[in-house]
Amino acid sequence: MTAHGTDEAAPAATTGAKPVTATRHLLAWVAGIGVLSVLPWLAVNDYHRFLLDLILINVILAVGLNIVKGFAGQVTVGHIALMAIGAYTSAILATKFGFPFWLALPSAVLVTALAGAIVGIPSFRLEGAYLALATLGLAESVRIFISANDYLGASIGITDIPPPSLFGLRLDTHLSYYYVVMPLALAGVYFSFCILRSNTGRAFKALREDPLAAAAAGINVQKYKTLAFVLSAVYAGCAGSLAAHMTPGFIHPNSYMLAEMVTLLLMVILGGIGHIWGGIIGAIVVTIVYDLTRDYYNYQMLVFGMVIVLTVMYMPTGIGGIIDRYIVTRRFVALRKAKGDAA
Amino acid sequence: MSYFIDLVIVGLSLGMVYGLVAIGISLIYSGLDVVHFAHGEIYMLGAFIGLWVFNTFGLPFPLVLLASMIITGLIGVVIERVFYRPILKSGGGYTVAGMAMVICGFGMAFVLQNIAFLIWGPRSLPFPVTFGMPIEIGNLTLPSSYVWIVAAALVLMSALHLFLKKTRLGLAVRAVAGNKDIAYLMGINVPLTISVTFGVACALGAAAGVLVGPINYVHVLMGLGILIKAFAAAVIGGFGSLPGAVLGGLLVGVVESLGAGYLSGNYKDIYAFILLIVVLMIRPAGLFGILAKVKA
Repeated sequence: MTAHGTDEAAPAATTGAKPVTATRHLLAWVAGIGVLSVLPWLAVNDYHRFLLDLILINVILAVGLNIVKGFAGQVTVGHIALMAIGAYTSAILATKFGFPFWLALPSAVLVTALAGAIVGIPSFRLEGAYLALATLGLAESVRIFISANDYLGASIGITDIPPPSLFGLRLDTHLSYYYVVMPLALAGVYFSFCILRSNTGRAFKALREDPLAAAAAGINVQKYKTLAFVLSAVYAGCAGSLAAHMTPGFIHPNSYMLAEMVTLLLMVILGGIGHIWGGIIGAIVVTIVYDLTRDYYNYQMLVFGMVIVLTVMYMPTGIGGIIDRYIVTRRFVALRKAKGDAA
Repeated sequence: MSYFIDLVIVGLSLGMVYGLVAIGISLIYSGLDVVHFAHGEIYMLGAFIGLWVFNTFGLPFPLVLLASMIITGLIGVVIERVFYRPILKSGGGYTVAGMAMVICGFGMAFVLQNIAFLIWGPRSLPFPVTFGMPIEIGNLTLPSSYVWIVAAALVLMSALHLFLKKTRLGLAVRAVAGNKDIAYLMGINVPLTISVTFGVACALGAAAGVLVGPINYVHVLMGLGILIKAFAAAVIGGFGSLPGAVLGGLLVGVVESLGAGYLSGNYKDIYAFILLIVVLMIRPAGLFGILAKVKA
């Protein structure tokens, strides 16, 4: 299962073993769904269930950020603004226009995807650090706009965002909400594997390594750059909408400050840029650590920022890199053993 | 009309401050091939150090400015040596390592911000310098703090110009900005020169922070906004060009001031960004036509 995280789909260790691996992968997914389905019942109290929801939302965010940053290599630090756009669209539609959650979520995703395309526009002209600063400016602009606009709740935020309801049943407990978030998170993770293994994913990787060579190989650079931003925006919009509708249904511009972006960035960096499983592990670890250290919030940014700096310095491939190295070593040893047995 | 002139004067003096920070960003870009993301925090740190020197030793303002520049410059050199040097050794510019540098700078910005928060707290602190009476020219009255900002910024910019053009170290800085390998061959101590470049850039950022202190309050979150504005100024003027950075800074300052005066003060911080996007759409090389240096 973990082998999926490597850049290439795991080649079968021995010839003829392909159906076996496929079954194994299917089994792994089924087992994963099984474990995830019973997880909230094992949680001790409601707060832990809330934390589970939060972790899954962060997983969606991190996986989405990985697409634009890890697969396509576009340096964006404005991802949090996309989440804000998703959350506010969903909240405004639900509170002011009476949209049900099941309509507000896709609408929010659509609007965020559009915003993602707009964020992608500077990426035609800007590279690397330029792009990073442009997206930083955009993120700050979005936040300032939200916190100064009375229609969007200004600095008070939006309250009483209705939770989703299903056949007249209000999903306003963290337990029931879990079963809204979990399938979406799972679908998001699965979808990102599909992207990675498709033509699009390969185009993204070519773009990341060398835009010039990619263009020479016939890849439409502008199209794929925009596509990367739009895809990651879909994830961000989904996560934003989910975060807005979660009980107690309250959003505030301060939830979308750049400090939150540091946390989000830490998930992806710690997990290893471009590594899906790494990103998921990063999201889980960082969310839990963030929650455990809430009492020391004065020092949080200091520690998180320092961990980012040190990870970049000493562990540039992150947790995902360690997993990869372990798998590669194991496969190498297995191959050598097989060879030795044959001889 | 006088309202308009007032706005332009405020814009020009703030623009000088943006220009100083933008020069720093441009210098670092030319020396290290990276955009320094934590430069706004250096500016904030400079303002706080200036305030500390002012409150503790009660020095006159020019000496406070100088002391803050020296201390912040040294802090900058230490940060560069300890954190940025190892990352840059594995390749700078727009490689994947370039992304690492952006992320590292972003992390460093929040580390510095948090350190300042732990030392000086969350409150906005006043910088109680008295500059004397407003100056009157014709029927215009100029607050002398604005005159001070413009004068000090001009002095610093000319000092930088003289340093770059007239001294041997300045020549080395320009050579390293041009081509590191050839600079090595010419017998220049490139690592030392890069440190000097970084230190000078940080000192200029600190000077901007100290200059803006008396007209705005000094607070922990002041760094982020200036980073975006100074970056906009540097891009508008053509990245890597020092006169361009100053003119870009003045343009950003005036546009922001006019926007705040005539449109809406709430969205004051967004105008610089809109200007940046417009310039990038029309003239990506900046108004002064110097093509951005992109590493192959």
